Amino acid sequence: MTFSGSNAGAVTWESARMKSQGVASYPSFSTHNQGFFTRNMRRISSSLSSFSARDDAGYAKKDDLKPAQCRTPLLGRIRTLMARTSRKWKIRALITIILLACYILFYVTPLHYYWRRTSWLGGGQRFVIILAANVGGGVMEWKGAREWAIERDSVRNKRKYVARWGYELEIVDMSTKKRYAHEWRESWEKVDSIRNSFKKYPKAEWIWWLDLNTFIMEPSYSLQSHIFNNLQKHIYRDINEFNPLNLTHPLQANYLDPEALSPVGDGNVDSVNLMLSQDCAGFNLGSFFVRRSEWTDQLLDIWWDPVSYEQKHMQWEHKEQSALQQLYTTQPWIRSHTAFLPQRMINSFPTGACNANGNDTRIHYDQNDRDFLVNMAGCEFGRDCWGEMYNFRELSYYLNRNPWERFKEDLVAVIWYKLTGQKVRL
Amino acid sequence: MHYAYPPRKDSHPAPFRPRRSRLLLLRRSQLKTIILFGLAVLGFIWLLSSSKHKGPRVITGRPPVVVVTVFDDKYDNTAYSQHIKDNRIQYAEKHGYGTFIAKASDYELSGAPSSWSKVVAMRHAITKFPDCKYVWYIDQHALIMSPSSRVEEHVMGAQRLEEMMLRDHSIVPPESIIKTFAHLKAHDVDLVLTQDKDGLATTSVVVRNGEWAKFFLDTWFDPMYRSYNFQKAETHALEHIVQWHPTILSKLAIVPQRAINAYSSVEHGAQYKEGDVAVVFAQCSGTGTKSCANEAERYSQQWRASFGASH
Repeated sequence: MTFSGSNAGAVTWESARMKSQGVASYPSFSTHNQGFFTRNMRRISSSLSSFSARDDAGYAKKDDLKPAQCRTPLLGRIRTLMARTSRKWKIRALITIILLACYILFYVTPLHYYWRRTSWLGGGQRFVIILAANVGGGVMEWKGAREWAIERDSVRNKRKYVARWGYELEIVDMSTKKRYAHEWRESWEKVDSIRNSFKKYPKAEWIWWLDLNTFIMEPSYSLQSHIFNNLQKHIYRDINEFNPLNLTHPLQANYLDPEALSPVGDGNVDSVNLMLSQDCAGFNLGSFFVRRSEWTDQLLDIWWDPVSYEQKHMQWEHKEQSALQQLYTTQPWIRSHTAFLPQRMINSFPTGACNANGNDTRIHYDQNDRDFLVNMAGCEFGRDCWGEMYNFRELSYYLNRNPWERFKEDLVAVIWYKLTGQKVRL
Repeated sequence: MHYAYPPRKDSHPAPFRPRRSRLLLLRRSQLKTIILFGLAVLGFIWLLSSSKHKGPRVITGRPPVVVVTVFDDKYDNTAYSQHIKDNRIQYAEKHGYGTFIAKASDYELSGAPSSWSKVVAMRHAITKFPDCKYVWYIDQHALIMSPSSRVEEHVMGAQRLEEMMLRDHSIVPPESIIKTFAHLKAHDVDLVLTQDKDGLATTSVVVRNGEWAKFFLDTWFDPMYRSYNFQKAETHALEHIVQWHPTILSKLAIVPQRAINAYSSVEHGAQYKEGDVAVVFAQCSGTGTKSCANEAERYSQQWRASFGASH
C-alpha cells in the first residue's frame, strides 16, 4: 500500500512541478523535452538493470513475495516493451511475424511441394518425366561400375528435380525384353512406356521423355517458367528456321487443306502435341515432350508399323527416331501438330557430340547461358559417359551454389589464397 | 521495489486521435460495390483468358455430304463418265450435297496403281468442302439408285447405324482374329465400310469429316503402303491399317454390304435389290457383255425413272 501511495504522490508532485514550470517559462518557447535524453530518460533508465541485493537475506525474503514479473525479467521486459510500442508498430510487427511464419510454414514443411503439385495451383501434376534407365541392360551387356554410377547420378538428378517442383517421375526399364526379341521391335518401347504413363498418371498433360545420359543442369528452372508459360514464344513450327535434314516445308500437294499447307499449322499453340529439338543430324528424341491428346494416341499407334518397318529398318539407323522423321516428312497430319524447341532449351549437347563443324552455338552447352539440360548423346560410342556425367554434375553444383557457399569460396578462400598462398576448401 | 521513475500516465497525450484504418472508414455499401467491381474485373479477365483456348474448328455441315467419284483417265470425257457424273450431280442436287468429281491423273501417286487416287480424292474433297459433315466416296463403276436416301440419315443416322453395324465381326473373314468393337456407339463411328466376298470393300466408303478423317486418310495414303505392292493396292493397305492400328479400328463400323455397296452381280458379294441406295459394278471389265458400260446401261433407265418420279 505504501508503494502505491508513494506512487500516487509522485504523480501529483510531478504534475504539479510540470505545471508550475509551464507557467514559469515563456509560453511560446519551451526548453523542456528538447533533447533525446530528456525525452527518453525514463525509458532508458527503466530498461537498465535494477538494483537488487540478492545476497541480502532480508531482501531475499521480500523477493519471494514479489509478483512473477520480477522473477522472470525477460518476460517482464517483453511486456514493458509491448506496452511501450505504439499500436501501429504492434500491427506492423504482427504482420511481419505472420508473414515470416507463413514463409517458414510454406517452405520448411512439405506444403510448398503439395502446392506446386496440385493441378489447379502450381500444376506440377500436369508434367510427368519419363527417364529411360537400364538401356539394353540384361541382355546386351554387363553393367560395370561406371554404368551403375551414371544411372545413379542421372536418376538422383531427376528425383531431386521432380521433388522440387512436384512433377511425377517414371523410371522405365529399357532393358531388352524377351517379348520383343522375336519381333522387330527392339528399342520401340518408348511408345509403350509413354502410353503406360498416360494411363498411370491420369492428371498428366505433358510427358517429358529423357534419355539416361541427360543431366538437368539448372534445377531451379521449372518447366512452367522455362517453357510452358510462354510456349508460343519458345517454339518454332516452321522447320525452315533450322532444317538440318533439308526437308521441304510446308508440303507441296494440290489436295491438301490450307492448314496442312501452312508452315505453322493452324498457328494456335493449343494444337501443338509434340515438341522436340533438332541436332546437327535431324530430329533428336533424347529429350522431347508429348501432350495427352487424341493426336498423340494416333501418333503412338502409327509410329511403329510393320509395313514401313519391313521396308525401312535397314536404313533406319535410329529406329523410332528415324521412323518419326519419316512420318514427319510424309504425313501432313503429323506436321501440323509438331513443334520444335531450340535445342539448347531442352537438349544441349556437350562439345563431344555433333562436333564435325566445331562448336555450334545452336547445339552446344554454354555455361554462361545456364542451359537447362545437357544430353550426352552418343557418349557410349567411343566417349567417356561417366566422365562427362561427372563433370557436368560438378559444374551444375558449382553454378548453383548458394550465397553462403559463394561467399566462402569466391571471397574468403580467394583472400586467404592471396594472403597465405594456400588453397583452402571451406 | 525501487523504480528509477515511477510508472505513470503519459503526460504528453497525442494531439490528435489515432488514425483508424482506412478500411473501417468505408461504409458497408461502398465495400459492396468495390467487391462487386473486383469480381467483375476478375470475371472479365477469366473470360478473356478462356477465350484463348479455342477447340478445333466447328464443322457446320454445309453441305452435309460430299459425293466423291474418281474417274480413270481412260474414261475422261466419255459418254460413260458423263452418265455417271450426271447420276452424282442429280443425286447431290436433290439433297443439297456437294459433288467432287476428280481424275486419277490429277494426283501424284509416285508409280502406285491409279486406284490409290480415291484416298487422296477424299482428302481433296475435305479441302474443297471443309464444312461438310460426311464424305461419301462411291466408285466410278457405280450408280446411285435411290434418290430419296440421305446419307446422314440412311447410313450415318445414329439409330440406323447402331442397328446396322456388325459388332464383333471379323475384319477379313474368315481367318482374321481382329474383330470390330463389340460396344461401339454411333457417335464414335468415323468410318463406315462394307465387306464383300474377298474382304473389306473400298468401292463405297463413308468418312466423317474432322481431324480424325485427315489422320486416317493421310495414314492410308502413306507412301510406304503405296510402294509396298499390296496385291489389291489400297484395299489391302486399308485391311492392314485397320487390323494393326486400334485408333482406326475403334472408329470403324462395318455395315451389311447392301447398305451402301450392293453389287450388280452375285459373284463378288451381296446382290443389288430394288430399294438399295447404290449399285456397284464390281470388277466389271472394259469390254464384253459384262463391261462397265453395259452394266451401267442396264440400270440407266431405272435410276432416271426413280429420280424423275421423285421430283
